[in-house]
Amino acid sequence: MTANTKPIAANKEKRIPVGSETYNRITEALYEEAMWLDEMRLEEWGDFLAPDLIYRAPLRLSRQRDEQAASIVHTMNHYDEDYGTLMGRIARLTQTKSAWAEDPPSRTRHFVSNILVRETGKTDEYAVKSNGLLTRNRFEEDHMQVISYVRNDILRDVNGSLKLAKREIVFDMAVLGTQNLSIFL
Amino acid sequence: MLKTLPKSPKHKSPVLPDGTSIDDLINVDMREVQLRVMADKDLYDLEMEKIFSKTWVLLGHESEIPNEFDYMVREMGADQVIVTRGKGDEVNVLLNVCPHRGMRVCTAEAGNKRTHKCIYHGWAFKTNGDFLGSPVAKEQMHGDMRPKSELGLTKANVKVYGGLIFANFDADGQTFEEYLGDMKWYYDMLFCRTDNGLEALGPPQRFIINANWKAASEQAAADGYHTITLHQWLGEFGGFNEGDIEASMMGVEVTSRTGHALRCQPVANKFKKLAAGFDSMTLEEKLELLPPPGVTKEMLPQLKNHLDPEQLALLVDQPPQVGGMFPNILIAFIYAPQPDGTILGLTSLHSYTPRGPDKLEFTNWIFAEKDAPQEMKDRIRKVTTGMLGTSGMIEQDDSDTWPHMTRNAKGPMGKNVTLKYQAINSLPRPKDWPGPAEAYDGFTKDDTQWNWWLRWYDMMTAE
Repeated sequence: MTANTKPIAANKEKRIPVGSETYNRITEALYEEAMWLDEMRLEEWGDFLAPDLIYRAPLRLSRQRDEQAASIVHTMNHYDEDYGTLMGRIARLTQTKSAWAEDPPSRTRHFVSNILVRETGKTDEYAVKSNGLLTRNRFEEDHMQVISYVRNDILRDVNGSLKLAKREIVFDMAVLGTQNLSIFL
Repeated sequence: MLKTLPKSPKHKSPVLPDGTSIDDLINVDMREVQLRVMADKDLYDLEMEKIFSKTWVLLGHESEIPNEFDYMVREMGADQVIVTRGKGDEVNVLLNVCPHRGMRVCTAEAGNKRTHKCIYHGWAFKTNGDFLGSPVAKEQMHGDMRPKSELGLTKANVKVYGGLIFANFDADGQTFEEYLGDMKWYYDMLFCRTDNGLEALGPPQRFIINANWKAASEQAAADGYHTITLHQWLGEFGGFNEGDIEASMMGVEVTSRTGHALRCQPVANKFKKLAAGFDSMTLEEKLELLPPPGVTKEMLPQLKNHLDPEQLALLVDQPPQVGGMFPNILIAFIYAPQPDGTILGLTSLHSYTPRGPDKLEFTNWIFAEKDAPQEMKDRIRKVTTGMLGTSGMIEQDDSDTWPHMTRNAKGPMGKNVTLKYQAINSLPRPKDWPGPAEAYDGFTKDDTQWNWWLRWYDMMTAE
C-alpha cells in the first residue's frame, strides 16, 4: 500500500458509482465548498463543517520505498484543527481588521478532481477521496504558488444537507512551497 | 546614549564586488543597517562562509533520533548534513556529500541505517562517518593514494545541549560555551530545568518563505514592538493578555554581544485577573498557580534540582518567554491561556535556514517536557500548531511580511534605505536583577536586536 492510497474507511466498503445520485450530491457539495473558499465566503464554509469535525494536514517526509508508511507523519501536522479552532480562524479572517496574511487577500482557485466515494458502514456517512490542486497568487507575484494534495474526507448527511465530519489533507510536498497556510484546503 | 564601540584588533571589513565594504553597510554609531543586506547575493555568499561555516547551528533534538542507527537529514546553512545516532548518547553530524564524486549519501530524509551507502558508486560509511569501503574490494576502487582515514564523510563538531543538537564546522572556532556566553544562565531555565528535559513532539514543520534569512532572524532577537501592530488582531480578539497587548510590551530584555536575546515578561502583568495578589504569594504558591509554560505541577519539585534559587525565582515571576539565539533561531515558551481556564505552553523553536539571498526555510519544532502526560503533549502540540508555524494564526502574518522587505531591498533606491534600531533603553539596569548579561527594564526597545546586528558585524568582519 502506498502512502497516498491509505483509505480512511476500509476498502472492503462498497464503492458508490461515479454518476450515481449520491455521488453527484457529494461532488456538488465539494464543488460548492471550493467556490466558497475561492470567493472568501468563509461563513458559508463554516456552515458546511460538522461540530465534531477533525481537520488535519499531517507532515510528509521523504522516506525510502520500503518505509512509505512513515512518509505520512501523524504526530505533527501543518493543520491540527477541530470545529472550534476553525471557527476561531474564520473569525480572525472575517471579524478582525488586521488579519494581514489575507489582507489584501490571496487569489485562490481550488480544483477538486478524481472524486471516489465509498460507503462507511454508517448509513449517513460517506468516505470521500479527492485530489486537490490549489493555485494561489498574492500582490504582484508573477507566478502561481501551486499546492497539490489528496483529501480523505468523511461527509455526513444531516437532514438532507452534507456536512464535513472529517478531513485529512495529505500534501505532496515534504517542504511546503508556501509562506503560510492562511488559506483552507 | 550612543555608544561607539571599539573595533576588534582582528577587524577586517570585506569588500563586495561593487566596492561596498561591510563597514559601509552598517552604521554602528547611528544604529542603522542598509536594507540592501536583505537581498544581496554577494553578501549572502560571504555570510555562508563567515557565519554559517563558523558558528553553532541548531539541527534538531536528540529525541528525533531516539534509537541506535537512527538518522535524519538537515540543512546547516547552505550545506546539507546527516545527523546520526551511534551507540548510547553518541550523536554525529556529517556532511551529506560523498567524498568520491560529490553525490548525496542519504537521499531519504530520515530512517535507521547501520551503514550509509552512496547509491552512485557504493562507497559506504559508518554512522560516525568513517569510510568502510568501496565495492569490488579486489580492485581497490578508492585507490591507494589516500588512506581510508581520509575518505570518510566530513565531520562537524557536535554539542547536545538540553537535548538540542548543535553543530559547527569550524574545528578551531568558538566552543559551545563561548557561543552561549553569559546568556546560558537564561537558556538553562528553558532547556535544562527538569530531570528528563524536553522532547520534540515529532519532526519539524518545514516551509519556504521568499525572504532573506535575516528578515526573520533579526526579529527573533526579541522584537516585541511589532506585536502591537502586526499582531493587532490578538487585541481585537480579546483573549490575548486580556486584550491589552501594550501591557505585554513591558518586561526585562536580556541580551549581549553574543547576539542572543530573550524577553522576560512579568507574569503578574500578563495575567492581571488570574494573578491577583501574585506579588505577595510564596514561591510555591506562585508555581502552583502558574507553572512555567509546559511544566506540570508534578514536575515542579524537579525545578529546584536543576536551577539555582535566583533562576527559579525569575522563572516564576518573570520567565523568558520569547527571544532567539544567533544567528537564526527563534525561541517561544509562551503562556497560552485556554478557553477552559487552564494555561498551557506554546513551546516551540524555529530555525530560519538560508536558502539563497531571497529565500529561507522556516523549520518549526514543537516541544513538550518528556515527563508531561500524553494528553498535555497532545494539547500543547495542537495549540502551538494553531498559533505558530505553517498555519499559525500569529506567525502567518510574520511570514507574509518578510518577503516585502526582501523585495524592497532590491530596488536601486530601496536598497539604500536604512533599518533603524534607535529606540534605545536608557534606563539603569534594573535594581537587584539576578541574572548576567545586559538587562533592560520597561517597554520593549531595540537594544536586543541591535546586539544581534553587532554580532553579525563582528562575524562578518572577523579576520
